[in-house]
Amino acid sequence: MATSDSLGQFEQLVLTAILTLRDDAYGVTIHSKVEELARPKAASLGAVYVTLDRLEDKGFVTSWLSDPTAERGGRAKRCYRLEALGERVLQESALTARRIWESIAEVWGKDWAREWGKRWGKETG
Amino acid sequence: MSSGPSRPAEMIVGILTPPACREEVLGDLHERYRSPLQYGFDALGAVPLVILSRIRRTADPQVLVMQAFALYLSFLTAARFHDGSLLQAQWGLLRLALPAGIALLGLVLEDAYALPGRRSPLRLVRGPIVGICLALLSQGMLRSHNPEIPLQGWILFYGCAMSLLLSSAIRLLFPPIAHGLQGANAPAFWLKRAGSGIGETAQTCIQAIIIAAIVAGAMMAALNSGISPVTVRVAVIAVVFGLVAYQLGKRT
Repeated sequence: MATSDSLGQFEQLVLTAILTLRDDAYGVTIHSKVEELARPKAASLGAVYVTLDRLEDKGFVTSWLSDPTAERGGRAKRCYRLEALGERVLQESALTARRIWESIAEVWGKDWAREWGKRWGKETG
Repeated sequence: MSSGPSRPAEMIVGILTPPACREEVLGDLHERYRSPLQYGFDALGAVPLVILSRIRRTADPQVLVMQAFALYLSFLTAARFHDGSLLQAQWGLLRLALPAGIALLGLVLEDAYALPGRRSPLRLVRGPIVGICLALLSQGMLRSHNPEIPLQGWILFYGCAMSLLLSSAIRLLFPPIAHGLQGANAPAFWLKRAGSGIGETAQTCIQAIIIAAIVAGAMMAALNSGISPVTVRVAVIAVVFGLVAYQLGKRT
């Protein structure tokens, strides 16, 4: 059964986006990064907002308002930062994903793992 | 060529977006602006979810169950004392639920759209007043379409007055979540009232389903057997009272 410490797939994507964006993590950039990570699936901006709120309620991220900028029509950004608890659950999720990958590779063979490894390599450049 | 959305479009989106997240949502939509159509699609995709998320953050399911009970009980009591025949009539109980449901919606929306950080003694009664105004408005609109559905004037008047009293009393006992500490730098995790976690939300939903099942079962039993409707009503009210008292005891 899911606990408040467990992460859904979309939550993992949003947390990963915040982690990689570092100091530049706010609505628009997080959404772009999530779309990049979730390829070929699309992600709506609204879904990102809902997930950010939920992650904040769980204590995985914190947010603050930055100074207003002209490119945003004089409006502020809400920036996000990963908290220690968020880092821990993201690490656990990454380990689980790795174990899934290894188990599948064990069953479907090394050729399959090599082929998919190449595809992923191409995607990530 | 304009580099941002038109002022009226931005104003409409701004009005629809809850004030607590208006700044960042309007800013993000402005930054993503490419064309009026794209802005419209972006706003349509984001704003409803932002409202729902805000409702999830400001609404306490346990208090909402109590509010729903108080509102329905107000209209039920008003109908019982003014004109008991409404309770026996077909769809009578459902007609009473209409204004109660709309008043509850008003309460929820008022909390979601409340300005964060603003402390006002009126805050506790503003929600019930907004809810009752919405209920009266909906009854007026219904009256113009089908005069048989809305409640009679005096039932509505007494029901609204009692709703205002009971609902305000519940809000005094359990103030809205957004009434507490608010600030951009304070993690929302701390702003939530302690003890209203996900587990408790699920528990409250289960209890609400049990209540609904008991009420539906009792109604079916009354219709299909010879049990006196009065006995059924007393039993249902006793069970619901018991559950609400249990919730109250647990929280206080």
